[in-house]
Amino acid sequence: MTRRTRLNPLTWLAAAGSTAAVTTAAASWQLSVAVIAACLGLSLAGGTARRVLPAAAAVLVPFGLSLLVLHGLFFPEGRTVLAEWGPARVTAEGLEFAGQRILLLAAVVMALLLFSFSISVPDLVAALSARGVQGRFAFVLASTLTLLPAIAARAQRIRHAQESRGLVVTRSLVSRVGAFRLQAVPLVLSLIEDAGTRAAAVEARGLSSPGPRTSYREVPDSSLQRTARAVLVLLAVAAVVLRLVQAGAGG
Amino acid sequence: MSSPSLTLPSQERIPARRRLLEILGALAIAATYIYLVLNQPADITGGPGSASALIALTGFLAGAILLIVAVLPTLPASTLVLIPVALVLNIVLGQFVGSTLVPFYLDAIGTVLIAVLAGPAAGAATGALSSIVWSFFNPTVLPFAAGAALIGCLAGLAARYGLFRRFYLAPVAGFVTGIIAGVVSAPVAAFVFGGTSGVATGAIVSAFRAMGDTLLAAITKQALISDPMDKAIVFTIVAILVYALPRRARQQFPFVRRHRVLTGNTPAAEARVDAPAQGTARTQVPGTAHDSAPRG
Repeated sequence: MTRRTRLNPLTWLAAAGSTAAVTTAAASWQLSVAVIAACLGLSLAGGTARRVLPAAAAVLVPFGLSLLVLHGLFFPEGRTVLAEWGPARVTAEGLEFAGQRILLLAAVVMALLLFSFSISVPDLVAALSARGVQGRFAFVLASTLTLLPAIAARAQRIRHAQESRGLVVTRSLVSRVGAFRLQAVPLVLSLIEDAGTRAAAVEARGLSSPGPRTSYREVPDSSLQRTARAVLVLLAVAAVVLRLVQAGAGG
Repeated sequence: MSSPSLTLPSQERIPARRRLLEILGALAIAATYIYLVLNQPADITGGPGSASALIALTGFLAGAILLIVAVLPTLPASTLVLIPVALVLNIVLGQFVGSTLVPFYLDAIGTVLIAVLAGPAAGAATGALSSIVWSFFNPTVLPFAAGAALIGCLAGLAARYGLFRRFYLAPVAGFVTGIIAGVVSAPVAAFVFGGTSGVATGAIVSAFRAMGDTLLAAITKQALISDPMDKAIVFTIVAILVYALPRRARQQFPFVRRHRVLTGNTPAAEARVDAPAQGTARTQVPGTAHDSAPRG
């Protein structure tokens, strides 16, 4: 916990991004497994496992299943046939291809999810603004992440309201489409109304005005972390360039 | 805290630089796509993490980021505050559909909505931002940023040239957008993810693979089946939503007024689902007082 609050969010970002780049460039299943294990360990130690793991599973399970079906059963390039039913041929090459893809994807997804669940969004916004990144980008990012639960709650309220007015969703397509309209129209309408109010408020606080801003939020940083970030970014660039040069030379 | 001046700075300060960034971004995306399509036969079975995946990731991401940098500072505040709303709509609806067994995505409703209300540039920025912010929960959508930007841009152009004025033209515009976006996104699905982005789309790709197609060909064909239908549905939904909005809400956007995006006469029956439009038509500057009246 304490370690998590001491790290600058940009250091987290550099670490996650460079892990993803290096893992993709290296494309070795051993490294992918190592990265997955490291991410698991870090998320358990940092106390974020409870949120990282369901999110990762929600992304990876459908992906993994469809990759297995796709390449496990149909891989025309495969030579070693393990089993055959009609047009479907299980080949060793196909299974290997699918397995490597799944591991690689899992490593990248775990690294990035660990990043997004370990940082605090206000810190990230403050750090980005301090670096001269557009205040507008920071606004969009922070606003989306804070609006998400609020809008989900509002959608639920609208559904309850429509149900109390007699909305019954049956299995037929027409009924579903009608129900979607009855819920989506009030939701979008109220969101656009809100946005109009917010536009005036944001404008009055000088969103469009150029010039320096003062941030009241202190984001921890140190020269060690700055160096680490530079090294991580260089590492990622080097891995990508090396890989491309290798591919260019090897054909 | 001293409050800065409330007047807007002149928007026309450095249009040339922004325009250059826009063009660079579009060029990066186009060049990446052409390179990937030309080079694919040699590379596709070369194992995961091949150079193509890296090229697809860097090229498309760099293009999307250039577009954001070029467009974001030029948007007025009334559009800017809508972008987070659009992103949430994309995420909430897309997350739901992506995990079900429908071979559609429906993850662009918010992007298309912004594009229709605020124009192609805003649509492109929204599409790209949507992918970047969504990747906080689902990192696999990050590489599709360029495709999402393209969808927003094309939807905005469709609105600009009046395709949303007739209700039956909206699905047609969506269909065409889907063809282009699907073809551009196919290399990402092929090289970065090895083939699929969901259970149902994966099944369609499998069918083409069973007929002996190469991976990129199979995925492009799958995209040509899923994407045009998907975008036609999305454009229709957005048309229904936009026409259901009260006139006051949609006329607050300069893009809608300037290019006469929508037909003037509101279908009265469409708009009576919700209560808040209780005031008479008040002419006012966007956002001065309108949501403060208590509902009901």
